[in-house]
Amino acid sequence: MSNNLCYASIKTPTPEPAWCQLSNEARLVLVNNTISTNPAFQRNTLIAVEAKLDGQVIISLVEAVSADKRGALLLDLESFLKASIDQGLVVWLEPVGDRNSLRNLRGIEIEVKS
Amino acid sequence: MSEAIQTQEGALILDSHKLSYHTDRVDAWEAGEHIAPVSVDMSLTRACGAMCSFCYAMMQESQSRSSIKTASALHLLDDFSAIGIRSVSLVSDGESTLSKAYVPFIQHAAELGIDVGNATNAWEWEPEKIEQVLPHMTWIRFTVAAGTPESYASIMYKGPEHTEVFDRAIKHIKYAVDLKKRKGLSVTLGIQMVLMPHLKDEIIPFAQLGLDLGVDYAVIKHCSDDEQHTLGIDYSQYESLYGLLTQAEGMSNEQTKIIVKWDKIKDGDKPSYSRFYGPQFLLQISGSGLVAPSGMFFNARYSKLHIGNFTEDRFIDLWKSERYWRAMDYLSSPSFDAQTMMGTLPIQHYVSVALDNHAKSVERIRPGIGKKPLHVNFL
Repeated sequence: MSNNLCYASIKTPTPEPAWCQLSNEARLVLVNNTISTNPAFQRNTLIAVEAKLDGQVIISLVEAVSADKRGALLLDLESFLKASIDQGLVVWLEPVGDRNSLRNLRGIEIEVKS
Repeated sequence: MSEAIQTQEGALILDSHKLSYHTDRVDAWEAGEHIAPVSVDMSLTRACGAMCSFCYAMMQESQSRSSIKTASALHLLDDFSAIGIRSVSLVSDGESTLSKAYVPFIQHAAELGIDVGNATNAWEWEPEKIEQVLPHMTWIRFTVAAGTPESYASIMYKGPEHTEVFDRAIKHIKYAVDLKKRKGLSVTLGIQMVLMPHLKDEIIPFAQLGLDLGVDYAVIKHCSDDEQHTLGIDYSQYESLYGLLTQAEGMSNEQTKIIVKWDKIKDGDKPSYSRFYGPQFLLQISGSGLVAPSGMFFNARYSKLHIGNFTEDRFIDLWKSERYWRAMDYLSSPSFDAQTMMGTLPIQHYVSVALDNHAKSVERIRPGIGKKPLHVNFL
């Protein structure tokens, strides 16, 4: 087996100028069009809702995906978008807020669109 | 990293790590083997009756919560034992004392030879429960947000008038301190304050409360925040508290040590590492049943790092699965940057700093020598 400690000091890629020069809308269209070319990511399963300048792509799952499936699905998607568009892209899902009713009285809100 | 604190019962390490006593796992990790974690931090429920203003669990909501039945919890321990996990701490994102599985879980862990620790607010930790679990515990850490009843109730509950929660906690902590003495138990009892910079006036009363209770230690730690700064912690403000924190440390006596987690407080919101190796050694499991490398990734936002749910699949199968190692490998790859992609100061912080320094040959992890510190199986 081999370890991957060789990456300890490697810089994480950031988006190239071609991505940064696009508008928010154009980036989102590009991401969703790219997703639609791959049968593994059917548009009725997931959709990009935000594509940020810094490379963060926020995904919304149209249908719930179980804990044992969603990790692989989203890592596959990230790999695909990196290979197809830009190595600096990073996939996240839309966040979920706290369901604890007592703690919610504190009024602290989790940003749903980050 | 900070030195161990000498207590009456041995060396106590709270502001560093104990990887030096698990170099078998470090060597295997370096050789690229799929290692079992040394320790798992988890909760038996997401529920909690408190409403602490510093609570990171607010940011840890996943897609769904599964109820953790006693049978699932005991099978989990069987799997921990089978793969060589050495300790489990009931901390994570819920108040485990509320779970029906709490007592049987601790008793079964003891039968399997797995060390158990627990952080609790002690509100529902009544004498009968204390008697059932304390002899099997390595440590208990009570969350005590402040040294005065009114401040405690303001920070951990609905307001300063609700001091009944403080009274209840103190009564139960005193019961445990007395039981430990009466039965000569080896369990370490401590209280913990999660210090937000605006709570500076609580530092000295908290230290005094630790002395008055006669617990083994009273520790003051930083407050974690996520990368969106949801809790609004200004890490630059901690420096102005150094004088008060040093004063609190000076109040230590033979029985009770006042400990400040200086390394984490000084490290602030930017870790020295980019890759996140710690979860391979110290895994976290949510009270929702979700298995993810770290509590930093429990929220739905980090679903790409979600491995599975141990109430649906046996943990040993999750650990052996490709998706477990894919998530761990992702955190070790250039795709992940711990400085920008996760919250501040995770439970794996000390371990991750040490492993990163080891990987970069800045400071190699050497086998520990001499007498082992207390709680050696809790990294």
